[in-house]
Amino acid sequence: MQQGLPLVRMVNINKRFGAVQALNNVSIEVRHKEVLGLLGDNGAGKSTLIKILAGVFSPDGGEIYFNEKQVEFSSPKEARARGIETVHQELSLVDMMTISRNFFLGREPAKGIGSIALLDKKKMDKECRRVIAEIGIRVRSPNEYVSILSGGERQAISIGRAMYFGAKLLILDEPMTALSVKETRIVIEHIKKARELGASIIFITHNVYHVYPVADRFVILDKGIKVGELDKKEVSTEDIIEIIARGRV
Amino acid sequence: MDKVETGIARVKQNLSLSLSRIRRWPEFGVILAFLTIFVFFSVFAPRFLTLRNLTGVFTIVSELGIMTIGVAFLMIAGEFDLSVSSVYALSGFLFVTLGNSVNSLLALIITLVAAAGIGFLNGTITLRARIPSFITTLGMMMFLRGIMLALTGGRSVVYDGDSFVPTMLTRFIGRGFRPSHIWFLALAVFFSLILTRTRYGNWVFATGGKKEVARAMGVNVNRVKVINFMVSSVMAGLAGCIVINRFGVANASFGIGMELEAIASAVIGGTFLTGGYGTIIGAFFGAFLMGTIRIGLVMVGAPAYWYQAFVGAILIIATTINIKLRRLEM
Repeated sequence: MQQGLPLVRMVNINKRFGAVQALNNVSIEVRHKEVLGLLGDNGAGKSTLIKILAGVFSPDGGEIYFNEKQVEFSSPKEARARGIETVHQELSLVDMMTISRNFFLGREPAKGIGSIALLDKKKMDKECRRVIAEIGIRVRSPNEYVSILSGGERQAISIGRAMYFGAKLLILDEPMTALSVKETRIVIEHIKKARELGASIIFITHNVYHVYPVADRFVILDKGIKVGELDKKEVSTEDIIEIIARGRV
Repeated sequence: MDKVETGIARVKQNLSLSLSRIRRWPEFGVILAFLTIFVFFSVFAPRFLTLRNLTGVFTIVSELGIMTIGVAFLMIAGEFDLSVSSVYALSGFLFVTLGNSVNSLLALIITLVAAAGIGFLNGTITLRARIPSFITTLGMMMFLRGIMLALTGGRSVVYDGDSFVPTMLTRFIGRGFRPSHIWFLALAVFFSLILTRTRYGNWVFATGGKKEVARAMGVNVNRVKVINFMVSSVMAGLAGCIVINRFGVANASFGIGMELEAIASAVIGGTFLTGGYGTIIGAFFGAFLMGTIRIGLVMVGAPAYWYQAFVGAILIIATTINIKLRRLEM
């Protein structure tokens, strides 16, 4: 791992939805083992930018480099294969399924060939139990339903799952909306742990207080334009709020 | 004093533990209901508990049950199929028409492929036009039924082909048992395994549970849905062929209202109308419950109208209990 070179570079990304220029020549980079806070008001283009990185949308223009190699993702699956994992606030777990079934959804270990191979339930439960224990969630078994978990526990499991599958870049999309103060702290601990394990993290939020304690750098978007890129040493939370509100440095 | 209290506490704990184990069993409600009804008729209907009658129940249950398995499989993926009753009648018709001129096995295969085609159409229209499958399949149900009635003018067609498929599907094999019973059992086991023990089954649950999550995790949600629409249709087609082979005659009015019976059986068996949760074993017992009530009521001498009333009441009671049981857990 070269410390000097960034893990991801997105260069001059453009994206238009009908009449709306969602992204206008936006460039960002994410360094190895750093937490990048991606900030901006609603509609600033944060989600569009990371959805391009995660392979959900393709950009109208611009390049993406992963480990200094140019990449083009035409589906989330391809991005995931490179180690780019997204944890959405609402889109990570199915309530009516068990933790273990959720944990391996789309990547189920199986004995046999193809989609009719039999699930390796033993492995699923064992691995899932281990990760749950590492994360420190207290549930009786991996066969409990996700619906009994709190918001913070869900985020923790989603992050744990991404790390289990070897995430190099973890994209957290508003991970703390609707969490209690106590749970917010727990999620921050999990983010720090993921960074220690070697992952880089993009943390998207419109609430600077959520990301400030854990971030190394900040990128601020406004109406599809990058209006600020700042090191944590240079700014206070108040400065950042000011930039977001005024749309310029 | 302390000892007694801890003793009571332990008993309570054990009791709640075993209760929680039972309630984890999604088929608990329907099996209990089935046993209750079964005992009831065994006591009050004199000839109910005879092998001959029970195999007769099994015959009716198999035909409804095979359809129910398909309906439940699709419902778990979050979609409806109301067209199964029309596919059931149409398949019977198609089989008889074809079987009267070609080899019966070939006729069966063509019929099932045609049924799969209708399922494919149901799924594709639903997904492409982005309309609820309730509407697509309601339309398909009326469309197919209308065409059949118009073309046949309500006249029946008698089966006159070879005896291979009739033997394979429904001719007696001794003591009142029929191959359709075995088909029903085997298909229930097969689809239950698919649902609970394969990767595909996991995708079905996720698709019905929250399709956005499934999609984000790399599941091809639309493909899962279309496949399940096809399964539902093929199962209805098979059920139709079985009943036609039993009667030896096809009529365009066969199976009217049966789609609701199948959906009711699935729901009584614990499948969520909203998708994402359900079991094939539950659907299996749901179909048994319906068949038992139908025959049982006749045997205690109740007019046939009571069947609907009974089923309606049980549907509401069973769904209430099922939802309550799930809430304890989820």
